[in-house]
This record gives sequence, structure tokens and C-alpha cells, in this order.
Amino acid sequence: MAVRKNITAITVAEGTAFINALRQFKTTSANGRNYNWYIDQHVLYFARTADDISHAHQSPSFFPWHREYLRLLELDLQTVSGNPNVFIPYWDWTGTAHPFSADFLGAITNGSVTSGNFSPSWGWSLYRSSIQTNFLQRRVGVNASRPTAATVNNVQSYQVYDQSPWDATVSNSYRNRSEILLHNRVHNYVGGHMATREAPNDPAFWLHHCNIDRLWWLWQNSNGPDTYQPRTGSTAGVVDNNETMRPFANGRTPSVVRDIGALGYSYQ
Amino acid sequence: MAKTNRRDVLRYGAAGAVTAATAVIAGQELASADPPPGPGDKRNLPGGVKDLTNLLDPRDFDELFKGKKIRGLHNLRGRKELMINNRRLALTEIKTLFVPADGSPPYVGVGWISALNHYDPVEIDDSRNRDGLRKLAKKVVDILGDFELADAAAQDHAH
Repeated sequence: MAVRKNITAITVAEGTAFINALRQFKTTSANGRNYNWYIDQHVLYFARTADDISHAHQSPSFFPWHREYLRLLELDLQTVSGNPNVFIPYWDWTGTAHPFSADFLGAITNGSVTSGNFSPSWGWSLYRSSIQTNFLQRRVGVNASRPTAATVNNVQSYQVYDQSPWDATVSNSYRNRSEILLHNRVHNYVGGHMATREAPNDPAFWLHHCNIDRLWWLWQNSNGPDTYQPRTGSTAGVVDNNETMRPFANGRTPSVVRDIGALGYSYQ
Repeated sequence: MAKTNRRDVLRYGAAGAVTAATAVIAGQELASADPPPGPGDKRNLPGGVKDLTNLLDPRDFDELFKGKKIRGLHNLRGRKELMINNRRLALTEIKTLFVPADGSPPYVGVGWISALNHYDPVEIDDSRNRDGLRKLAKKVVDILGDFELADAAAQDHAH
């Protein structure tokens, strides 16, 4: 049972176990996947796929798709490292604490990560970069500011999970408000590769999405655990509650990922 | 420079109704000189296009920003095209909610994203956001820093 902790609460040993497992997963497969498989899926499922469904973004399955994506990565990191206690920490970006330190995700935040953790010499390589470079890029705070606690509270107050037309235009939608005002904004706040389609090149991706998942879980605690929309039928272009989310295994539906306890983790 | 020009010409050629032979000839012509600024300059035209007089949009631009040549065409055979240092950046149109930071009411508009500003749609239109494509180009130059676009950024994708 993984307990996902705030980056402000993790020990150096826990942080080190996480980043070393990421590095190891770059070059070693586990459970038939490696790190770059995750980048492939993010690029592929960002776009509307051949089934004419938006699985990962700009659609109701934004939350459950990433919940399954993170759970799978956490499992693979535990497998590849042989350490069942490895977990994905979360980054609550409303506070001043950030993960960009020398002993964690690397201290360079204004351009190329040329040295230290997540540099090529440390053992990190880029994959499918749309920027011609071997160095991870970050431009923290240049293009956007962090969401404030007030913005988070406002987003969390939307009680409708999602509704037609189930896309990026829905106004009264917890899912769309979170996706645009919190999720997109932090991608733009970190900048560099985090601003790109191949954003999982930056390990900050996982800490950011872990916080998004935690906020959804808090929202579920207030609004009900079984509140995914759309519930039934075959709504065009989106994943219904009992429809498999690709590329995950058959039966990995929004419904089966609604309870994080059943998935084997919790938030502290 | 010559190779880049020829490839770009072929890309445009593939998108429009020109034969490969025409595109190659145009590419050889283009390869002879570095295109000077000015979207209407004859030496700066996409393959097969002889004269942009009737194709130019008053919003088109071809200029330097932070040391990079940014070039935007708003209506090239019905498409928007953006090049940064002669490398194509594929653009994708999405209808999305915009929530202005100044507290004014949210609204639905059409935004443009690319592999680089993937979470930051930019509005481009003929009125309030007539400078949108240039704004998008500058955002991307800022994300690129000292580097150039990779080939992956030229691939079209749908949302």
C-alpha cells in the first residue's frame, strides 16, 4: 500500500529512491514497459485516436486516464527497483516549496539542465523532443505564474463533474476547470519540456499530476466517489464510465479506478 | 540552409496541388539565396506559388525575434503556416474555454496550439487577436531558448 506524500514531507531517502527508480526505468524494462513507453502514450493519446475518442485530455476521462497512468508507473518503478515502497510524491504548487533542488529533480530552472540530477551526465536522456537538444529544458515562472490556493478552492467548488459537449469548452465542469486552470497552468509555469506534448520527459510531470489526482480524490470525498460522467451508453467521442481507457488493459475503465484504496495507494 | 529550404518547399508542395517536379525546381531556386525578410518576396515563396499578391494576408509576417527568423502566413491554401528559422511548426486548432486572468467573464473561443505551446492555446483572428500568430511564434521562441525546432514539431495532429 503506497502512501503518497507531499514533497515537503518526504525524506531524502524516499526522494532518492523515486528518482533513482526513474533513471533505472529509462534503461531497464519492467512488466513489458520502459520509461519511454510512457512518453509514447502521452503523445499518442493526447490527440484524438483512430477510435475517434479523446482519452487523455480535453475530455471527461482526463482524471481517470492519468490516475491509471500514474498507478501503472508507480507499479513499474516498484518492480524495476525491487523496492515495493517507492511512491510518487505530490507537488502542491500553491505553496512556495518546489521540487527543483540539487538532491531531487535538479536545481537548474532557467534553461538547459546541463549538470546534476536529470542531466545527461547523471543518466537522463530525452525522447521524442520537439526541441533539438539533449538537455531537459525548464523555464520556471517565465510564461505563467502558479495557481493560488484561492484558484484551487474555486475550481474544487464546481459540483458538476463534467457535461456535454464533454470537451475543452464546457464552462460548468469540475474536470474542465481543473484541466485548464490548474493542470495547463502548471505545465506552462514550469515551461521548457513541461510545456510540450512530450512533457513526461520532465519528472516534474509525475509530481504535478499526482497533485491533480490528489485534488480529484479530495473532490470525490466531498462530492461522492462514484460521480464520473458520462455514466452509460456510448457517448460519441468520449470514454463512458464502463468503457476501457486505451492504451490500458481491457476493463481499465473510469469506474474501476474511482477508489484509490482499491488501487492500492492513499494520500497523506 | 539549402537543404532546409528544399525540404520546406516539398512539405508545402505535399500540402498543395503542385507536382513533385515543380517543387524540386522551386527548391533549387530557393536554395540559391537565403530568403530576405518580407513575406511577399518572390524568393521566399512556397513551392509552386509564383505570386503571393492575392494570397497575402495583411497579418502575415517575416521578421527576427530574439535572433530567430519567425514567419507566419495566415491563409496559405486555407491553412495557417508558421516557420521558425525555416523549420515548420504544425498548428492545431481547438475550441476551448478561456478564463481571463483579469477576472473578466470566461468565454469560448478558438485557440491554436502546437507541440511546444501544448497547454497554452493562443487566439488568432481578424479583430481583437489579429496579432495572435506572431504572439504564438514568440511564445515558442521563448520555449526553444537557444535551440531549434526538431522534426517532430512539424507533424500534424488532431484534437
